[in-house]
Amino acid sequence: MYKALFYKEWTKTKRITSLLAFVFLASLIYTFINTGQLFRVSGAVEVWSAVLLKDMPLLPNWIDKLPLLAGLLLGFSQFVPEMTDKRLKLTLHLPLPETRIVATMLVYGLLVLFSLLFFSSLILVVYLSSYYPQEIIAMMLWSAAPWFLAGLTGYLFAAWICIEPVWKQRVFNALIGVTAMLLFFFSARSGAYVFFLPWLVLLVFISFGFPFYSASRFKDGAQ
Amino acid sequence: MDTIIECDNITHYYGKRLIYQNLNFEVKKGKILGLLGKNGTGKTTIINILNGYLKPRSGVCRLFGEDMEHISPATKARVGLLLEGHIQHTYFNVEQIEHFYSQFFPNWKRDAYYELLKKLQVTRTQKLSTMSCGQRSQVALGLLFAQDPELLILDDFSMGLDPGYRRLFVEFLKEYATAEGKTVFLTSHIIQDMEMLIDDCIILDYGRILLHLPTKEIMENFRRFRFSAEANEISSQSDLWNTQKIGSEWETYSFLPTAEVEQRLAAFGANKLTEERISLEDAFIGLTGKY
Repeated sequence: MYKALFYKEWTKTKRITSLLAFVFLASLIYTFINTGQLFRVSGAVEVWSAVLLKDMPLLPNWIDKLPLLAGLLLGFSQFVPEMTDKRLKLTLHLPLPETRIVATMLVYGLLVLFSLLFFSSLILVVYLSSYYPQEIIAMMLWSAAPWFLAGLTGYLFAAWICIEPVWKQRVFNALIGVTAMLLFFFSARSGAYVFFLPWLVLLVFISFGFPFYSASRFKDGAQ
Repeated sequence: MDTIIECDNITHYYGKRLIYQNLNFEVKKGKILGLLGKNGTGKTTIINILNGYLKPRSGVCRLFGEDMEHISPATKARVGLLLEGHIQHTYFNVEQIEHFYSQFFPNWKRDAYYELLKKLQVTRTQKLSTMSCGQRSQVALGLLFAQDPELLILDDFSMGLDPGYRRLFVEFLKEYATAEGKTVFLTSHIIQDMEMLIDDCIILDYGRILLHLPTKEIMENFRRFRFSAEANEISSQSDLWNTQKIGSEWETYSFLPTAEVEQRLAAFGANKLTEERISLEDAFIGLTGKY
């Protein structure tokens, strides 16, 4: 039964997932070309010293928002069709406990998103290992961790906003979502977030509960 | 006889607008019950309450004896639900949606689904989103037949269907329900197809049940009477429904025999009283009025 629910979620999201995989791949290729060019033009010593002494980022500036964009797109593509014509009623009518149905849908989205982020990071780490030492790459991953968490939280907020049946409350949820997202994008030196990361992880776990609250309001017929 | 659906003292408001006050009814096993009412009388509301998608102000509904707010997965599997407008997951195609639902029901009857779809000019890979409302209605009905539930709840199944599809839907449903001894609870605001379908009839008025009777009893006993009268106004009489003047003639509706109606109207100088057998749709109009 859970496999069938995954099948339904995949049917809804396969296009957006393919598009996101393409965008992630294109971003990786861009990063590879950019890094290769940088090392050819400036040389390894100059690049390393810029990274270590001037905190030069290893990745393009715009890449920090990519996981969030992926989370939002995935969330909306999964839950907007569910709320169109209140189809969620059909889903909740399936012979499974309602909380498990909602949880399965959310776990599907989180798994897809996590897979995209994990494999992109893996490819990136393998490639950059031929240019940078392990310590610099580890520092890059620590810097990227809040962006990844922003993607997961953004996904959960998108789900919460969609499932909420009352428009006024939806706007309120969106405002909370925007405020929460700001926490992931403070401008700071790389590695500055390390001590704040546990709180961001906690925020991801808390956000997982929000869609259940709105699903319960949907069940009660809140209007 | 087992009670499949029970509604006890349901009261519900949307804001300050009363939808029902102390609504009570039950549906016995094997019956096809039609809930008929004008737009806005709360037909869909009661379907939502029954399935636990709306919390009423007070009262309780039970499906197979289970409280509407805590319907177990096993009971959900015994209930086939058709939402108003034949809503389905339209991102699936014909084959995918069958595959999806088949995973949830152990007694899934795949052949019943494809048998029904043979009548449609659709391919197995056609997406539901590209289908007409009529075609989608048949897909939804096919899925219900394949699920083979003990209770079918159909919300305004006739909505958006042309007469051909409506008739097709009704004929298949009647055959299925009577052959398999299923219980069906349906709502509709198109009454003309119901005559051949429903055993029992609940007619809803704003805020209350106007009538709950076997359809046969309504068809056999409820009559329209036309007459002329000297009086310009006829006061409201018990057991005479919607008495009104249309042009130079009067009409009224009643379950009473002709002689008794004649007697009731004698005080108003009624004459030339004629009795007419009427369809269920006319009976509905007679009971609820035209406006």
